[in-house]
Amino acid sequence: MADKPGDLVQGTLDMLILKTLALESMHGYGIAVRLEQLSKGVFRLNAGSLFVAFQRLQRAGLIRSEWKATENSRRAKYYALTEQGRKRLNNETREWGRQVAAIARILEAS
Amino acid sequence: MSLLRSMASGLRSLFRKEQVSQELDEELSGFLEMAAEEKMKQGMSRKDALRAVRLEEGTVEVAKEVVRSAGWEFFLETYWQDLRFAARMLRKNPGFTAVAVLTLAVGIGANTAIFSVVYAVLLRPLPYQNPGQLVTMFESNLQKGIKEAGCSYVDFTAWQEQNRTFSFIAGEAFHALTFTGRGEPSELATVVVTPQMFSILQTQALLGRTFSPEDGVRGAAPVVILSETLWLSRFGSDPKIIGSAITLDQRSFTIIGIMPAGFRVPFFTKQDIWIPLAQDPLFSGWIAQPPSPHWLPVIGRLKQGVSLAQAQADMDSVSSNLAKEFPAEDTGWTIRLTPLQQELVGDVRSALLVLLGAVGLVLLIGCANIANLLLARATSRAREMALRQALGAERGRIVRQLLTESAVLGLLGAIAGMLLAFWCVHALTPFLPSGLAQFGAVRLDGWVLGFALALSLVASLGFGLAPALLSGDAHLEANLREGAARSGEGGRRSRARNFLAASELALALVVVVAAGLLLRSFIILTSVNPGFNVEHILKAQISLPRFQYSTPQQWTAFASELLDRIQAQPGLKDSANAAPLPLADGSINLPFSIADSPPLPPGTPNTADYVAVSPNYFRVMGIPLLHGRTFNSDDSPSGRRVALINETLAQFYFPNQNPLGKRLVFGFPPNTNVSREIVGVVGDVRDISLHQAPGPMMYVPFAQEPFWGADVVVKSALPPSSVVSSIRQAAWSIDKNLPLTDIASMPDVLESSVAQPRFRTWLIGLFGVLAALLAAAGIFGVISYSVSCRTQEIGIRVALGASSQTIRSMVLREGLKIAGAGLGAGSIAALGLVRFLKSQLFGVGAADPLTFFGAAALLVIVALAACYIPARRATRVDPMVALRHE
Repeated sequence: MADKPGDLVQGTLDMLILKTLALESMHGYGIAVRLEQLSKGVFRLNAGSLFVAFQRLQRAGLIRSEWKATENSRRAKYYALTEQGRKRLNNETREWGRQVAAIARILEAS
Repeated sequence: MSLLRSMASGLRSLFRKEQVSQELDEELSGFLEMAAEEKMKQGMSRKDALRAVRLEEGTVEVAKEVVRSAGWEFFLETYWQDLRFAARMLRKNPGFTAVAVLTLAVGIGANTAIFSVVYAVLLRPLPYQNPGQLVTMFESNLQKGIKEAGCSYVDFTAWQEQNRTFSFIAGEAFHALTFTGRGEPSELATVVVTPQMFSILQTQALLGRTFSPEDGVRGAAPVVILSETLWLSRFGSDPKIIGSAITLDQRSFTIIGIMPAGFRVPFFTKQDIWIPLAQDPLFSGWIAQPPSPHWLPVIGRLKQGVSLAQAQADMDSVSSNLAKEFPAEDTGWTIRLTPLQQELVGDVRSALLVLLGAVGLVLLIGCANIANLLLARATSRAREMALRQALGAERGRIVRQLLTESAVLGLLGAIAGMLLAFWCVHALTPFLPSGLAQFGAVRLDGWVLGFALALSLVASLGFGLAPALLSGDAHLEANLREGAARSGEGGRRSRARNFLAASELALALVVVVAAGLLLRSFIILTSVNPGFNVEHILKAQISLPRFQYSTPQQWTAFASELLDRIQAQPGLKDSANAAPLPLADGSINLPFSIADSPPLPPGTPNTADYVAVSPNYFRVMGIPLLHGRTFNSDDSPSGRRVALINETLAQFYFPNQNPLGKRLVFGFPPNTNVSREIVGVVGDVRDISLHQAPGPMMYVPFAQEPFWGADVVVKSALPPSSVVSSIRQAAWSIDKNLPLTDIASMPDVLESSVAQPRFRTWLIGLFGVLAALLAAAGIFGVISYSVSCRTQEIGIRVALGASSQTIRSMVLREGLKIAGAGLGAGSIAALGLVRFLKSQLFGVGAADPLTFFGAAALLVIVALAACYIPARRATRVDPMVALRHE
């Protein structure tokens, strides 16, 4: 996959952000780094598209934010999953698994 | 929940913009700082790290813009920007804005004003509960050629008993009763009803009660209900008036109730009081003596859930039963049910729709004009648009902004238009034909204003869409490079402009043709010879109170005494009376038969209009005597029964025969049939309306067939006011309690009989002028613009030796080409559309070639005149200036 979010499968960015936040709350840069690390450098997201996604998820009530101090005692906005976000993540993970399996079957069949 | 959250968050960004933007700033710069720190850990200098981050992530500003534009509030914000920008653009071009807003104001104003009438008459439900259940019931006898007569009272009672589909039916009639005992005697517009009328209309009394079934019985105590308006004007709204008595036609009536202002029984324009049919001095007599004439208009309220078709079937069976039961009276009569609203609207409907259509076309022409102005402006703004696109504006965004500008124009036009409509409705109300008054006030209410608003939005979309869509057409590089104001003049756009100008002329032709046809009809109508003279003739009506003057002998005595006293005065010798007077009063149509002759073949109409006149009548009115003699003093109550007939009756019923000496059998009321000898034939008269060809008429001497009310006609060279006061003095010298009503000069009577066609002819004429002017402005704009674009070309032509004559005709030819195309298309459209006018034309065919040719010629002249100004400007082009122009 390319490093532009437009090239991500539609809707997957939201799911990935939710997944990143499933373990602990995190600030924007942390999320970007974590995504890059977990994907072994495949997903490199720029600030603009990440923050649009944060705004969208927050308005949908899937994540909430809070200003906190970082380990380097810098002020940063930390994002955390809401209960609703956790449910959505579970659903989407399950749905994603189903779709991937289905696509794989189709690709193998031909 | 999430919608609410999204709204809250969006609103927060809208209204606490500074704080939200600061937070985003801090968050983003924190993000970049952290990214930079990461890079510094890997050994980069701070400066290099920041640079690298900026390269990777873009600047904070771009990221902020991306985040901001993702929320819905951004949409609102840009709209607000668009609006402010549109307002600024319109302010910067005051000339354009003024022309566009004025055009729209006239278009929307006129449409709104006409729509307010259409709404009041055709769309607004009648002011009764469940008005859809109300139907009118008329009787027709096609064998006798009678359409839409009332029913006889005997039939009415039979209908009441036998129908199964109506909750109530009621009859109504109109009468003017003389009100005395409080100041000057006056006539009150009295609606005479059977008591069920109030149950049908389901309107409660403001005070007191309405009629009970007992009030409708013959011999019951006379009772009356007053209108709130009369209660206020004559009784000072005194609530204690209920239970007291007033004198009507010299008889005492007890007031039992007050009806709220605005309440009216259908069909009658003016209504002061209501009384039961059984208490009316005239009609109570008609109830009493069967077989009675067909005179009673009937209204019914359908039972819940009954359809009109079911009710019609029910009444069909009722009428066939009646025909079996009373073959002599009821054979051949059928009952026709019509929804009340449809019956009330009548032929006004088509007139109104034609006006609405015409005024709609005017607005369309106006919109085409504005679209053209916008197109011309879009061309000069091509560079602005190219620049916006180069800076990254999307096509949709530009279209949106242009449409916003149109919508602002449309709204300004709507506001100005509503003000104009408000003024128009006020100014026009007195001129509205009085028949429309019964639909209640014509006013600008929510529905009408909503119409205006919707119209303005549709209009602004209409005129804004073409320029907006063509805007994306601009060739980006070419426009930027050339940079000249007129660089965007593409072929598509100039074709669009020519098309619009041609369409305007086409639409204008439709309106002008319609106006021309109605105008010609009106001219023909008013030049129709009514069959009598009107000059220097004055009329006034006197009705005798029937309780005081109860016998025909009294009526005859009063009439001859009155005429004697009037004629005795100097200058008033030419005076007569008549009942009813042609055009001024309604007509009385009676069946007749010819004595001692085989019965007419079935299907032949055998009715004629009936007038009772004094001997002088024909001389005063200038109606020519063709054969025999007119009436004289020998035709007295004791004399031989005689009649005069008109030319039409003579020719139709006595072809190639001498009608003199033959006998006609008829009577008024029809059950008082008398055989009368024809002593003369007089000229035809149009007695119902100018547009209705004269039918058969019969005249009887007033002395032999007197009536309690009659019109006095006086031909005199004296000033009208002194004639009126002489008539009044003569009447009051006999009885000081007699009111003189309906005073008018005969020319005025003639005028008011064509009030409605005049009104609509004026309106549509006005729309025709507007349409022609707007179309002229349209073609003027297109040709001027084309001349200004071709300045250089024209300069070259002049430099190469073209004469100003050649240049002028070149420009005019361009205009003529557009006009020709438009008028050609317009003629076809007009030919297709004029059939909707047919019912309103008089004496002229819908496809009248003269009108079509005249309208087209008029518009060609208008178009040429409009093109002449730019053509002259073209001849003044100085080749040297023109060539240096670029």
